Amino acid sequence: MTEQTATAGGRDIFFVSNSFDELGGVTTWSHQMARLFLERGHRIHIVGITDSDVPQDLGCRLPYPTTTLYEVRPPKVGPALGLKGKLNLVARLRRAARTAGMHEQATKLSRMFNAARPGAVVIVTQVWAMEWVRLADTSNVTVIGMSHESYEYSKATSRFGRVKKYFAEADHLLLLTQEDADLWIRQGLDNVGYMPNPLPFMPDEPSQRTEKVVLSMGRLTDQKGIDMLLDAWAEAAPLNPDWVLQIYGDGEDEEALKKQCTHLGLDSSVEWRGRTGDVPGALRGGSVFVQSSRGEGFPLALMEAMAAAVPCAAFDCAPGVREIIRDGEDGLLAAPGNTHELAQRLNTLMSDQELRDQMGELARKNIQRYTTDEIVRRWEELFAFLER
Amino acid sequence: MPDVSVVVIVYNDAGRLPTAVQSVLGQTYQSVEVLIVDDCSKDRSFQVAKELEAAHPGRVRAFQLPENSGGCGAPRNYGISEALGAYVMFLDSDDVLEKNACRNMIAAAERTDADLVSGMCVRVYVDSRHAKTVEWYPWLYSRSRTIESITELPDLLVFDTLSTNKCYRRSFVLEHNLQFPVGIHYEDLLFSAQAYVAAGRIALIPNHVYFWNISEKASTKSISNRRHEIANFEHRVEIHRRVDELLQANGYEDLKFHKDVKFLKHDLVLHLRDLPLVDHEYRREFRDLADAYLAAVAPDAYDEVQPFQAICAYLLRRNDWANLLPAAQALASPGKLTSSLVERDGRVYWCAEHLDDPEGARILDVTGLGYHTRPLTSFSLGNRLTSYLDNGVGKVRLSGSVVNPLGRVTADAKLAGTLELRARRTSLQSFRFPLTSLAHDGDALKWTAEADIAGTLRPLGVIDAVWDVWVNLEVDGETLRTRVAVGSIDVDSAHALQVRPRLSRLVADRIKPSASKKGNLSYVLAAESRLSARTQNLIQHALQSKAADLTKTSLRKVRKAKKDLHSGRTKIRVYHEVFSKLPVKKGLVVFESHLGKQYSDSPKAIYEEMRRQGVQFKAVWSYAGNQPTGFPDDVTLVKRWSYPYLRALAQAEFWIDNQGFPLKLTKRDETTYIQTWHGSALKRMGFHEPRLKLRSRAGQDDFQRTLDRFDHFLIRSEHDAETLAKGFRLRPEVLTRTGYPRNDKLVAARKREAETGSRERGALAAELGIDEAKTVLLYAPTFRANAQGTVKRFEPPFDVEDFAWRFGDRYTLLIRSHYLNQVVLPPSVQGRVLDVTGLHDITPLLALADGLITDYSSVMFDYSLLDRPMIFFAYDYEEYANETRGTYFDLREKAPGPVVTTESELFAAIDELKATDTEYAEARRRFVAGFGEYDQGDAAQQIVAKFFTSGSGK
Repeated sequence: MTEQTATAGGRDIFFVSNSFDELGGVTTWSHQMARLFLERGHRIHIVGITDSDVPQDLGCRLPYPTTTLYEVRPPKVGPALGLKGKLNLVARLRRAARTAGMHEQATKLSRMFNAARPGAVVIVTQVWAMEWVRLADTSNVTVIGMSHESYEYSKATSRFGRVKKYFAEADHLLLLTQEDADLWIRQGLDNVGYMPNPLPFMPDEPSQRTEKVVLSMGRLTDQKGIDMLLDAWAEAAPLNPDWVLQIYGDGEDEEALKKQCTHLGLDSSVEWRGRTGDVPGALRGGSVFVQSSRGEGFPLALMEAMAAAVPCAAFDCAPGVREIIRDGEDGLLAAPGNTHELAQRLNTLMSDQELRDQMGELARKNIQRYTTDEIVRRWEELFAFLER
Repeated sequence: MPDVSVVVIVYNDAGRLPTAVQSVLGQTYQSVEVLIVDDCSKDRSFQVAKELEAAHPGRVRAFQLPENSGGCGAPRNYGISEALGAYVMFLDSDDVLEKNACRNMIAAAERTDADLVSGMCVRVYVDSRHAKTVEWYPWLYSRSRTIESITELPDLLVFDTLSTNKCYRRSFVLEHNLQFPVGIHYEDLLFSAQAYVAAGRIALIPNHVYFWNISEKASTKSISNRRHEIANFEHRVEIHRRVDELLQANGYEDLKFHKDVKFLKHDLVLHLRDLPLVDHEYRREFRDLADAYLAAVAPDAYDEVQPFQAICAYLLRRNDWANLLPAAQALASPGKLTSSLVERDGRVYWCAEHLDDPEGARILDVTGLGYHTRPLTSFSLGNRLTSYLDNGVGKVRLSGSVVNPLGRVTADAKLAGTLELRARRTSLQSFRFPLTSLAHDGDALKWTAEADIAGTLRPLGVIDAVWDVWVNLEVDGETLRTRVAVGSIDVDSAHALQVRPRLSRLVADRIKPSASKKGNLSYVLAAESRLSARTQNLIQHALQSKAADLTKTSLRKVRKAKKDLHSGRTKIRVYHEVFSKLPVKKGLVVFESHLGKQYSDSPKAIYEEMRRQGVQFKAVWSYAGNQPTGFPDDVTLVKRWSYPYLRALAQAEFWIDNQGFPLKLTKRDETTYIQTWHGSALKRMGFHEPRLKLRSRAGQDDFQRTLDRFDHFLIRSEHDAETLAKGFRLRPEVLTRTGYPRNDKLVAARKREAETGSRERGALAAELGIDEAKTVLLYAPTFRANAQGTVKRFEPPFDVEDFAWRFGDRYTLLIRSHYLNQVVLPPSVQGRVLDVTGLHDITPLLALADGLITDYSSVMFDYSLLDRPMIFFAYDYEEYANETRGTYFDLREKAPGPVVTTESELFAAIDELKATDTEYAEARRRFVAGFGEYDQGDAAQQIVAKFFTSGSGK
């Protein structure tokens, strides 16, 4: 085994993302992992291709360097489609300028990679960033690409083709679950593995599940499917008249959803709580957690709820969901979009305290397979494996 | 010490060995060693191995067996004994490993702690134009999985019998002393079986790991060079016997059964297909070997395989070659019928023999294949050459015999026919010669033909080298096309005939009869003179040149452009950008029922009412499929999705349909869309269905736009307003409370019956030949789709023969399955059970039936208007109601008739149909009031009055 030699003094680990601070899950994840690796003695460098539209507040000074490649955003050009596209001179010039610029920025990456010590790793967290990394000299480093969403979700976007094309050139591509990895393998990628996200925190004080409260947490956007949650609640609430549904989060659909809630006659049993800064506190106040998303990757919200010993009912909308929840054991799943079934699952949990307690406690225990220690160990094992 | 040892075996393959070895050295996983074991080659293989060893010290080792072993077993065993790695893999010198193979296998082995990891093998056809690849049993490798015992996945042992796409823990191999057998072919079968059985845990990964290069030179084998195949079969059977012993010793009876099934499905079939082409001696030896092995095959295994696989195996055991050879031919060519068949006691059998043996009767029963009901044109009849004569120059005289299944070509049928020679690759030309005779002869049709091939046939040359021989029979105006099987006629030794290709005789000067791969008669162009032989070579060379590639590329582009013109995308664009700019034509009405598949339902009722009232309009009906039948003569027919169809829709004043015109077509404001819909809902619909709820907002908006095209949506009750209208989020003003035009006739029938006190049967009863004295029952189930929306195959959920036996003297049962399904009824139920699936319109059937059996079909809502008895055969209600999308109400509570779940309950309910009927009269009345209040018999009149009489607005 080469593990000891390579990690003595730590590895040089680069994170390359679209931007180092854009608002979103990937940024949160990158900085969480960066700190964890730092604690293990690795050297970290976070690289963004360009600056962000909506930056995320990353708190005080970061304990590792960050670099943004472009000072001015690279021009946007679509692919040349058909004869008309090929003859479009303006677009052609812009495309040429963009390609030249990409090579220039990739040279910066090459310099960083070539300066790294042997055993260095480049983690490319998004496929867009890979378009630069692939142009750089990576002979001195191991390139690990990542796709932080489910296969199905990628499939509906342009990322599907790009993942197949660009990440095929990485040494390794990580998906969130084995099921997602298998689907990519069946698309012809043979450099694929998987790595779950780490649990963000383990609350010291779990929920006692005494309040008659069902919790939902997530942005009020189409993807989170709160409209379907309200449909389900309209079926489940009359059977459990003393329970309330607390909906945490805000977002563009807030108004429409509140209107739907009123229209369904649910105003007395639904509480709109807005965005919260105290997730553990909110979780302590609930007895059941519900997630009704149209699509997910490896949802942190479920992991947090389980860590707080709150049993979950969720749409089985992604491999990550059925990976986190063991259906019938530490939570309950419903067929995606089947609000009737989701209502039944909620009803099952609301009407059976014993089941709630049993599933909640087991959830808190089971979710510890994703603790930060465990996930960091798996990463370091992977680094070593890829050197064999 | 390396982690993985890859044993590369080689025999007389010096040329390819370096590529194989390089595929290991170039692995992304570095800790790998190569052991080359040369089976004492006669060529430079061992030298090359030594050179590789010298070039890669410490990574490659070369060994040579002292003498040739003639197989793969001995060198691999030697490799195992010399291996040092924690894991062992095998590679043949003509194949290669995928470059991540070792990394993926070792990752899986370490993750799962399995003794054996197996990945997907890919067959590469190296001689095909684009190196075609085929995955080897991909269903076994669709996802990563770990099994604790081979009994969890018998198919793995049964199908994936390769040793090479696997990675074995070396300590596991040594501990169980796993060895390849030596001195016998198919050593992989035994080795892999031993490994599967011994393994404590097996991991499967979906990755491609091994590329199996296959070169198939297209030379057809003559009988003489098939001799070695009998030895192969002997080895195959012997290996199977040893695997069976292994399984038995481990108590794996269930695995043995799976293996038996596979033997019938696969191993035997490989050889059965060739039987019509091999000589007598071969057949005898083959039969003896097969019979000995088949004796140990479980009788139940025959039930698990395709009919012809079972029939062939059975007839082989009975040594009945007269019936076996045609069956083997049918096996080789699906859709071909090579026996005249017999009918006994209402069942159809492959042959008249062996029916006294219960096993024989069971296996030879082919009733389910529908040979007695399906049109003769739907399968190809077996045609066997009985003589072949030529004059040595250019004329031939052929005769043959065509089967006449169950005498379906009757003695008085008008017969004629032609012999046709048709180029296989490009069907630019065909040459026909009239048959000189064609007549009944016992249970077959005999024919003869004379053809002056030299004088008539003018191939182009080069591109049309193979000419297939067809015999086309004209039977009462219908054409039955048949290929001519060579059978026992020796055409190989017949003369080559003269021929004059249009590209001059430089390219070919002779044409020779020959048997195709499947044993059918063809003629092949040949170059006999030296000059044409040379030209042939030149042309073959030119065809592989760069210039030829360029030509082919341009041809492909032209073909693509043609395809694009007829693609959906282009059509939709033309509809919007061209046709929709044309003026709307007053009085142009486009009708469509069930996506063009029928002339039926409310669109038909409205159309007929318009005709009855003499409305001035231009009727266009849409049809799906190739040949529209059953539509009225005085309408313009347009094929769904054709340009005329799109143009008619773009210019129509009215759209009338019952399901939905193509979703991507925008309706113009000047066009009025009357959506009649096709039934009240039990199942949740539209936005009440999970799959639509799940769509993104944009996806939901798209769907809503297609629904918003409806200007009028017909409903038959407030139930529809609560369910369908809400599920489709229709605007209130769109709802049109007229009832369904299609049901006007049912309401009228009910009224007539009440007034006259008697039930008229009408023309349909006579057409179907229904006995006046019998009660007519209609069985009309809904179709069942699985979660992905694919329609499941339909089998009547009760035994129709039992029904006929028990009720045939009292009832006539009409079966109407969903139009996407097909039913096959045995001859035994003739006259007592009728298949009426083919009729377009169900309404006359409802009016005819004295009672209805259904499950969840919306016909229940329509039929209840007749106030006649109904039985609900809801044998899978829970599954239907819950599994997919849920229902609006519980059918079991509201059903206006008995709800039964088993065949015996169904038969009991049928038995007491009349007696219990009055019980349900009140429930029926409530049902009609709840679901059909607006069906008052004047729906079509209301529609016509509202939209189509002068002065009526939209």
